[in-house]
Amino acid sequence: MRSFRLERQLDLDPRRAALCRVAGALCALVLSALVLAFTGRNPAWILWQALDAIFSRQRGIEGVALRAIPILMTALAVALSLRMRIWNIGSDGQFLVGAFAAVGVGINLNAPGWVMLLAMAAASTLAGAAWILIPALARAYWGVNEIITTLLTGFVAVQLCAWASLGFWRDEGAWAIQSTEAIKDTLPKIPGTESLTIALLFPLVIAGALWWVFRSTRAGYEIDMIGGNPKAAAFAGINVPRRVVAVMLVTGAIAGLGGMIHLAGSPGAQQLNSGFSAQYGLSGFIVAAIAAGSFLGLVVGGFLIAGMFYSGLVLQTRGLSVYIVLALYGIILIGVAVGEMAARYRLVRAESEVAARRST
Amino acid sequence: MTEGSTGRALEARGISKSFGGISALDGVDFDLIQGEVHALLGENGAGKTTLSNVLAGLYRADAGEVLVDGSPREFRTPSQAIAAGIGMVHQHFRLVEPMTVAENLHLGWEDTPKVCTRRALAARAKRFMDEIGLHVDPTAYIWQLSVGEQQRVEILRVLARGARILILDEPTAVLTAQETTELFDVLRRLVNGGRSVVFISHKLKEVLDVSDRITVLRGGVKKTTRPTEGATIRELALLMTGESDEINVTHRKVDGKVALEISKVTARNDRDLIALREVDLSVREGEILGIAGVSGNGQTELAEVLAGMRVTDHGSVHVAGQDLTNAPARVVIDHGVGHIPEDRIGMGLVLPASVEDNAVLRHYRRDEFSTGIGLDRGAVTAFAERLVNVGRVQTRSLHATVGELSGGNQQRLIAHREAAVADQVMIASQPTRGLDVLAAQEVQSTLLDLRDGGCAILLISDDLDEILLMSDRVAVMYEGKIVGVFDSADADRDKIGILMGGHQDADSLR
Amino acid sequence: MIFGMVDNALLSLVKVAIPASTVVVLCALGVMLAERVGVLNLGQEGLIGIGAVYAVIAATEWGVGSPWISMLIGMVAAAMAGAVFAVVVVVFRANQVLAGLALAIGGIGLSNQLGVNRNGTPIRTLFAEINPGGRFTSNAFLETFFFHDPVVYVAYILLPAAFWFLLFRTRHGMNMKAVGENPASADAAGVNVTWARIGYSVAGASLAGAGGAYMVLSFTPMWAPDIARGRGWIALAVVIFGAWRPFRVVAGALLYGAMISLGMTAQARNWNLPFLGPRDLSFFLSMIPYLVTIVAILIPAGAARSGRRVRSTSAPGGLAVPYSREER
Repeated sequence: MRSFRLERQLDLDPRRAALCRVAGALCALVLSALVLAFTGRNPAWILWQALDAIFSRQRGIEGVALRAIPILMTALAVALSLRMRIWNIGSDGQFLVGAFAAVGVGINLNAPGWVMLLAMAAASTLAGAAWILIPALARAYWGVNEIITTLLTGFVAVQLCAWASLGFWRDEGAWAIQSTEAIKDTLPKIPGTESLTIALLFPLVIAGALWWVFRSTRAGYEIDMIGGNPKAAAFAGINVPRRVVAVMLVTGAIAGLGGMIHLAGSPGAQQLNSGFSAQYGLSGFIVAAIAAGSFLGLVVGGFLIAGMFYSGLVLQTRGLSVYIVLALYGIILIGVAVGEMAARYRLVRAESEVAARRST
Repeated sequence: MTEGSTGRALEARGISKSFGGISALDGVDFDLIQGEVHALLGENGAGKTTLSNVLAGLYRADAGEVLVDGSPREFRTPSQAIAAGIGMVHQHFRLVEPMTVAENLHLGWEDTPKVCTRRALAARAKRFMDEIGLHVDPTAYIWQLSVGEQQRVEILRVLARGARILILDEPTAVLTAQETTELFDVLRRLVNGGRSVVFISHKLKEVLDVSDRITVLRGGVKKTTRPTEGATIRELALLMTGESDEINVTHRKVDGKVALEISKVTARNDRDLIALREVDLSVREGEILGIAGVSGNGQTELAEVLAGMRVTDHGSVHVAGQDLTNAPARVVIDHGVGHIPEDRIGMGLVLPASVEDNAVLRHYRRDEFSTGIGLDRGAVTAFAERLVNVGRVQTRSLHATVGELSGGNQQRLIAHREAAVADQVMIASQPTRGLDVLAAQEVQSTLLDLRDGGCAILLISDDLDEILLMSDRVAVMYEGKIVGVFDSADADRDKIGILMGGHQDADSLR
Repeated sequence: MIFGMVDNALLSLVKVAIPASTVVVLCALGVMLAERVGVLNLGQEGLIGIGAVYAVIAATEWGVGSPWISMLIGMVAAAMAGAVFAVVVVVFRANQVLAGLALAIGGIGLSNQLGVNRNGTPIRTLFAEINPGGRFTSNAFLETFFFHDPVVYVAYILLPAAFWFLLFRTRHGMNMKAVGENPASADAAGVNVTWARIGYSVAGASLAGAGGAYMVLSFTPMWAPDIARGRGWIALAVVIFGAWRPFRVVAGALLYGAMISLGMTAQARNWNLPFLGPRDLSFFLSMIPYLVTIVAILIPAGAARSGRRVRSTSAPGGLAVPYSREER
């Protein structure tokens, strides 16, 4: 009797895993294209419109890059902690708190431009780290699940920012949207572009730095060992709790800094209001989870997701709803998750294997 | 086929099974006569657990058939095997720790009343225990019980489901001598009551003590099935290992400096009970001190203290004169203390990491690999390559994950790595447990080479033969205390065995 | 009567909080069921949205007269989404966190999309409040608790009692708890782990859908985008606060609702604390439930470290871990 079996493989070839994830995403895309076609819309046309919106003019590419900045910063933050198998799902909260601190400094301090920028950056970095401190300590020393704690601190961050924008830092003059006052100092622009500031450089530099850390430093090695087996890492002489806290603090710091560079580096984002971190909802976390350790993959993924959101927004003016994009997003994610699992299996023909063995 | 025509409670024919392309069983036949204790003997990896899992319905065989009372059965799920009267007690218990004994007994069982309270379940459990004659406190939570008691719960569970055939997988691995004797009594009683037992083990002596027939597996293949009467240890060992002998070891009486001094060390285990009581030991350079004793008498905790992974209540530890009492793992490593851990996978290796990464796991901080904040990957690779060659670690590449390696190759990796770490002292904790003979011999050779090079070695093993073979001096550990120390010349197997069992003095026995 | 001395405003606050928190109660009970068998579903926001939007569609376009049927339709829709999630996570053993987020995002997207043309259309077929009549109208205290619609009583009393009984007094419940604590052991004992996880996931999802449907069929009788407004996430936190026990979970949900209502009341009545004006106070209050939950999580963890085993409040041992029988 011929039969196929799925055999679970013991090792995971990273290249194969990446391929399977991409394949999963593609399958999901094809599936959603079919669904779209079913509901009377033309998927090819939609895709064409999306690509056209992005690539046909400079503003499109810049728009994508601008949206990529916050996504990449939070993604990098999460990716760093993921190497230790720690899931910082509250990176958006740390991002917000960073922006909060930056706004606080920005509207209450008066100093020459570059001093302001430095102060805001410092404040946001510290704020992000401070925000993750308790979940970090709880996880490192008490084993408390960080998904829950960072999620909760994220909620608190949202409330805190709402408080700021509607309460103590409210811009009394604005009547359209309720928000804080705007900061006056922004990051310098990149020459030759319409709207890009040097904010874009931050995630790229950080990604490169992290890549180097994991390739060539002791700290990177230790982080990977902790992620692989904390008990063995302790046996190896690594002070695991201290390391975990340190890395998580850096994670929070990166996310917090992201808040500041988005605030000071994206045109129109200079105040804190309900639209600040916009509908990205955990995109950074998702990009990091999908990239699974590859910093190059993370950067590419970040731009792709940013592109997806940008096209969704632009397509609104051409008659499409942004919600479809969200639905698509969800479907793609599931495709990737399934693809990741599929990478561990191999289709094997049961009979022929037994026959081969019998013959020896 | 007439039912029970040959008195065979269970029969397996031509069973084959493989995992991920690696064959675990190849055309194995096995049969169990009603009312017998049939031992399944073999080393780790021989296929004993795989075969029993097939019989118990946890694995589906790739080929072959299983017959219960003469009729062929196919088990797709464990409950089908249970329904056929086959009950398996695993090496790693399948108990739910936060639940009580009574709840665990009633888990997944149709006979359990649909609506019930904890108290009602406890009463039912007690009634059943009275019937069988085997008792454990039904209201206790599993995490509160000793290992022997937990095993008893497993056996009760299997009996409650009406098992006529019991399969026990390495049941004595976690028991004290006393508990082992009790277990053998229970088995005899059950067998006299009409049940049949498959007893899986790698311990030759026990197999000879308790079984009626013996089947030996090696490398997924059946080597023999024969009556226990008349079998000798030598013959069984040969069948199990395919190789005959032992390495030659010359023991010496050593007079050099004391490299490792353990003084009145008292420590607790994870359950906050005292595990080490005023332990005094010293090991000299160029000497192997073996610690004999059944697992569970404090050996694990002693090793953890010496590795810097467990703190002591009192006492001190000195390495080459330096006080390392309660020093963290990092300091211990820096002082050149190598350690082959008992829990190879849980503590000694980072499974998802590469062979290369694991090769330097404990001493990557040394100057040859580290400069400033950087890690010299080239040096790491070079070292790993040397280690893999010298240690004969079979791996497809240095970048393969260590999880792919077989147990023997993993241990070779660990042993040679720790040899590189150990300047003065080496702690080897159950270093050959679960290894095939070739790997075990290689690990033992590595330790002996270290000894000859002047290292002080503390060898902890529950294999008394290994202790007697390797050690220059032997200490016996029982319930956290050192109850005797002998030079190898005076190390008498019986005397030591008695001390291991907790008896103080041979003469007081008769 | 002492009741007369309790501030009427406080009572009216509770009265408002109860139905508002019902959404969280229903969703949290669903999360509790799923987590008890070891499945972590982060997609609650999406499920609430799906339940709500389909209830709206049923009530307005399909002309369903009874709010119960509309709710049922919402529940079925959410259950189907939950079933997809369950299969992906239990059968394919995909990462539960990722799949849950996918459900949350995809669900919000889908429900918002379906609701795009239905913003603000009032729904007329709502759950009617029960009027026990006569003696019950005599004072404010009784009025606070006895005049809600039937779903409230189902959510706050019937369901928790039923789940308590199921989990702690039946064989089935014991088996399910074992699946959550140690799926390998449950499997070895003959419990079908796969079906347990799928079944309870779908049940949990349908409860989340019920929460969403209830919302649009009672106190917010119209569709609006992002209708869940974070209540799905709150439900996840509440379950932890309630240590996976039905009545404690309900208490936790009430706490949230109370805090939010308290905040609104503070604003309306200009309550003042030193340094905190009424508006500030309401924001501060809105943060309290999360802060309390964090503390509630940290306390048993800290106690455990200091030696006392606080068993009854820890998470099911196998939570969020995919189970495979042949895993070596």
